Amino acid sequence: MAADAHPLLTLNDVSVGFGGLRALSKVDLRVSAGEVVAVIGPNGAGKTTLFNAISGFVPIDQGRIALAGERIDGLMPHDIAAKGVRRTFQNGGLCGHLTVLENVLAGLHSQTPGNLFSIALGWPSARRAERAAVARARELLDVMKLGPQAAQPASSLSGGQQRMAEILRTIASRPPLLLLDEPAVGLSPPMRTELGKVIRDLARTDGIGVLLIEHAIELVMDVSDRIAVLNYGEKIADDAPAAIRLNRAVLEAYLGHA
Amino acid sequence: MRIGERRLDDPEAHTVTRPSVLWLLPLALLAVPLVTNDYTQYIVNLTLVYVLVGIGFNVVVGNLGQLAFANAAFYGIGAYTAAILLYHYKMPLLLAIAGAGVVGGLAGTLVALPALRGIRSFYLAILTLAFGELMRWVYINADAWTLGSMGMHVPRPVLFGYVLASEKQKFYLFLVIVTLLVAATANLLRSKVGRAFTAIRDNELAAAAMGIPTARYTILAFAWSGLVVGTAGALYAVLVRQVSPEAFGLLELILHFGIVVIGGLANIAGSVLGAVVLTLAPELLRDLPGYEELLIACLMIAILLVLPGGLITVLDRLRLTLLFRERYHRA
Repeated sequence: MAADAHPLLTLNDVSVGFGGLRALSKVDLRVSAGEVVAVIGPNGAGKTTLFNAISGFVPIDQGRIALAGERIDGLMPHDIAAKGVRRTFQNGGLCGHLTVLENVLAGLHSQTPGNLFSIALGWPSARRAERAAVARARELLDVMKLGPQAAQPASSLSGGQQRMAEILRTIASRPPLLLLDEPAVGLSPPMRTELGKVIRDLARTDGIGVLLIEHAIELVMDVSDRIAVLNYGEKIADDAPAAIRLNRAVLEAYLGHA
Repeated sequence: MRIGERRLDDPEAHTVTRPSVLWLLPLALLAVPLVTNDYTQYIVNLTLVYVLVGIGFNVVVGNLGQLAFANAAFYGIGAYTAAILLYHYKMPLLLAIAGAGVVGGLAGTLVALPALRGIRSFYLAILTLAFGELMRWVYINADAWTLGSMGMHVPRPVLFGYVLASEKQKFYLFLVIVTLLVAATANLLRSKVGRAFTAIRDNELAAAAMGIPTARYTILAFAWSGLVVGTAGALYAVLVRQVSPEAFGLLELILHFGIVVIGGLANIAGSVLGAVVLTLAPELLRDLPGYEELLIACLMIAILLVLPGGLITVLDRLRLTLLFRERYHRA
């Protein structure tokens, strides 16, 4: 496949340690454009550390992380985000004091032009940029059926709406790569189905590469093209969902029995 | 309750002021000198100074959500800079005021550095309080410039050859400067800059993950705060024409903090209200010597008990903020 010749995200031999603890050990991983790759594994397997390493929140001790061939390990988190790696957070990453609309606008931060002086002086160029960002954010909110909540503080949304709003905020900037950290937590079964549809659409229609941490295994099986399994910081399997289901090492690690 | 949190059951709690309506306010204020005498005009001028003080402080405490208490230091640095530029260097008035703003901004940048190193909450509070006391030591001991603990006299303000002899003349200069800085601050806070400040306050990691350079915006918030409050200090020096170290101590800082909290955190209109109330109250109570401090303290306690979100919640409750609703929030 042509996409595999130029993978969107490549991790080579990536290790992360916290003191004596090896959180990630020589992990290799590839995500192509339009591909959904799930990362599963028991608690403490290093899934969130993997996301933190990719998005620049923890330094890697060894190895290399590249986005479209360009090395991104060692960059600041905001620089990595500006290059098009966007993520959600396990515990929710919305800014509660901003409205839903303002959260989406904040997601468009690096795409909204305007320097300090043009903004402070209220120049037409700065106003135009703001209006364009607002129009884009409103359009997205309507697509995700969050339009009526636009002016509400994000903290007043229900848990499910917050999850959706956070995903919306990450995709507002049209990033090539999306990291979703347990997006289904707290979602009702119908909302999980809706979430699965959103994730598939992002990959198939918009060509976004999605890396997904998720415990809701039916969702993982439903949306993933590939599943990578972590255990004690090591990748023990990386295969199509049907094959993972039958993988003996995975069953032992994940279910605790052979 | 977290700093700046407002009642979430109030649908109007998260409105932003809209400048097109607020521009009427300074225009209306142009008529104030028609009804004042020199003393009441002085009070109005002082109120304008404290409007800037509150708005500048609020950027750091309210919008960025940092417990940084260097505000009286920024105020003093601005006042001394203007006084030194006018007294020693005989600089033109506007240049001296601008210089005070720039030096205040530099002081703000300096104070942002510990915040960048991860020093937060109580630790940042103590560190910035210490900075304020350090500055008082500097005012006293750098006496070649500051003339020491006696303080220094500020020459008569002269603007383009005109001596601003009366309070009414100073008023127009102050009104222009304060309006411009308030408008610029409002523009910044309503833009991606203000959203970045609030995002950093709410969730710094998420802010970085959205592509917001958090360190740069933290410095910017402190620098802008220093610039606005430093300019306020310069206006104070021009107004009172006397600067001395004791004017910029802890009591002054408490007044600044009171303006921000009583008015309403992270709210420009709130800072204006807070400045008006806390400047006027001592003057109105001046006829009751001995009870002044007591009554002001009671007033502050009463306001915070009845309106925990600050005076601005009165406007919210009366739905007056509907007038000021941000354009993009209107259906």
